[in-house]
Amino acid sequence: MANLADVSSQVSTRAAESAPPKKRVLSDTWYSVLLITPAMIFIFIFALFPLGYAINVSLRYADLTSPQGISDYVGLENYRFALNDNIFWASVQRTLTFGVAAVAIEMVLGIAIAFLLNEIKWLKGLARSLFILPLAASPVAVGLIWRYMYHPEFGVYNGILASLGLPEQNWLGSTALAMPSVIIFDVWQWTPFVALIVLAGLQALPKEPFEAARLDKASTWRILRTLTFPMLAPVLTLVFVLRAIDAVRLYDAVFSLTQGGPGQATEVVTYYLYRLGLRFFRLDQSSAMSLLFLYAVVVFTALLMRRFMRNIAERARRA
Amino acid sequence: MQSAKTSLGDVIRHLVMLVVLIIFLFPIYWMIATSFKAAPDILTRPPTWTFTPTLDNYRFAFEEANFGLYIGNTLLVAGVSTILVIIFGSLASYSFARYNPGDGHIMFFILTTRMMPGIAVIIPFFLIFREVGNTDIGKALLIGLDRPGALIIVYTVLNLPFAIWLMHSFFQDIPKELEHSARLDGYGRIQTFIRVVLPLAAPGIAVTAIFSLMFAWNEFLFAFILTRDMARTITVGVSGFISQQGILWGPLTAAAVVCVVPMLLFALALQRYMVRGLTFGAVRG
Repeated sequence: MANLADVSSQVSTRAAESAPPKKRVLSDTWYSVLLITPAMIFIFIFALFPLGYAINVSLRYADLTSPQGISDYVGLENYRFALNDNIFWASVQRTLTFGVAAVAIEMVLGIAIAFLLNEIKWLKGLARSLFILPLAASPVAVGLIWRYMYHPEFGVYNGILASLGLPEQNWLGSTALAMPSVIIFDVWQWTPFVALIVLAGLQALPKEPFEAARLDKASTWRILRTLTFPMLAPVLTLVFVLRAIDAVRLYDAVFSLTQGGPGQATEVVTYYLYRLGLRFFRLDQSSAMSLLFLYAVVVFTALLMRRFMRNIAERARRA
Repeated sequence: MQSAKTSLGDVIRHLVMLVVLIIFLFPIYWMIATSFKAAPDILTRPPTWTFTPTLDNYRFAFEEANFGLYIGNTLLVAGVSTILVIIFGSLASYSFARYNPGDGHIMFFILTTRMMPGIAVIIPFFLIFREVGNTDIGKALLIGLDRPGALIIVYTVLNLPFAIWLMHSFFQDIPKELEHSARLDGYGRIQTFIRVVLPLAAPGIAVTAIFSLMFAWNEFLFAFILTRDMARTITVGVSGFISQQGILWGPLTAAAVVCVVPMLLFALALQRYMVRGLTFGAVRG
């Protein structure tokens, strides 16, 4: 690419007879396209090809345990199956339960911790650094550690409960408690994420309106309601969207904590798709469900991110 | 401003902060403590808080489970995919920041590829790599099932959208005037990019590289499905201590420490940039 540009620029500069070669061979448009081409090729081949493959399989009969493997086209049969599959809908329901509960708790706790971090005087930097740790840890590895900590006999949580004279719990083993236990783990890992980003948002707020409000003797509650939260809204939306997208894709924590059990108490969509596609090898049905799921995630994100995306697009346009 | 005196409120706030920190750091402490416990100390009821530390668990993890190989694989896969991500990503990201091809639409399209749930595309990836692995090209480039090339490709694709978005905000912070004056000095476009733009974007490139490394290091699902033993990575290695007979908690915690602690140190070292990285560059920490 560079050689080509050099050669053709020599030709053009000789023609123009300008001493320092100003390489105006490529227009800005073509140059910009050239720069994104390698990345786009990569993304097109390896993101769109699997997608196309999944669409194709979702329209066929494909049971890898049968001798034919991937065979005839069956139209929308697999989608019809997916829409009528009660296990699929139950797993969707679990994903939503998990997502709503986990993200709500993380937002509330995270915002509270951000305000607290913003107010403290001593060792603020150290506290902020330490809060990063949970989210840097591999979810599968710390998930397994939590499985040990939740252990009904040898787990430290039951040990603490017992020493306080409280009843011990079967954290991951009981149908009622398993999902809350997975949620607690997710809250542990991702509340710091919310806290740190909201803190950054708080620290970036302009000082003047707050000083003016204080001079007017506005109450703390009034300042929060009319100044702080409205000004924080873009950051809060962004954190919420990022957490929500991640929450519906939950897989690692379920794998290491419960493997979907007990029974199907924690079998979220991703885990059901894994079981159907890679344990029962029903590629057709699991592909159809994956695509429905993907479609829902993209639509949901696009709706939530409309405003944020507009800002980004504007920022890009201004550049 | 607030008075310099320490009020009761300050004391309470710091105490609450301390309690919250202890709650959030406790699992990490417990992981590290357990990894140094001898087998009998791990399975006690109630759990012991004091014990004589031993390195047995680490010895087991490295001798019986070949953790050295897993770490090597992880470093290879994470390193090569990060290099590819930085090269392709910085070219594209710079282009979007300066020339904005596609008027924001291509940028959004790139982001949507990142929303794809891994599970939705993992079976196609599995089948594609199974095919490619049997071809001569696949064998030569180590692309195939249980080959590091497959994971390098997957992690590059998964990290590219993130890298393009994150670096975008860094490239935008570079004043255009600097590039103009470089061009007036007779630099070509590519020279300007390499000699002027890239050095100024170095912090952004470093953050992107470290996030990309962290992602590849911590990734589980693709590594779990696409590797067996030769190309196994560290997260899959940790989960390998779960067997039909039961869970080897001691070696598992030791392996988890080996997997988790390097990333914790990474995060502490770059905490200044973490917020910006975590929000795709949208919030400047």
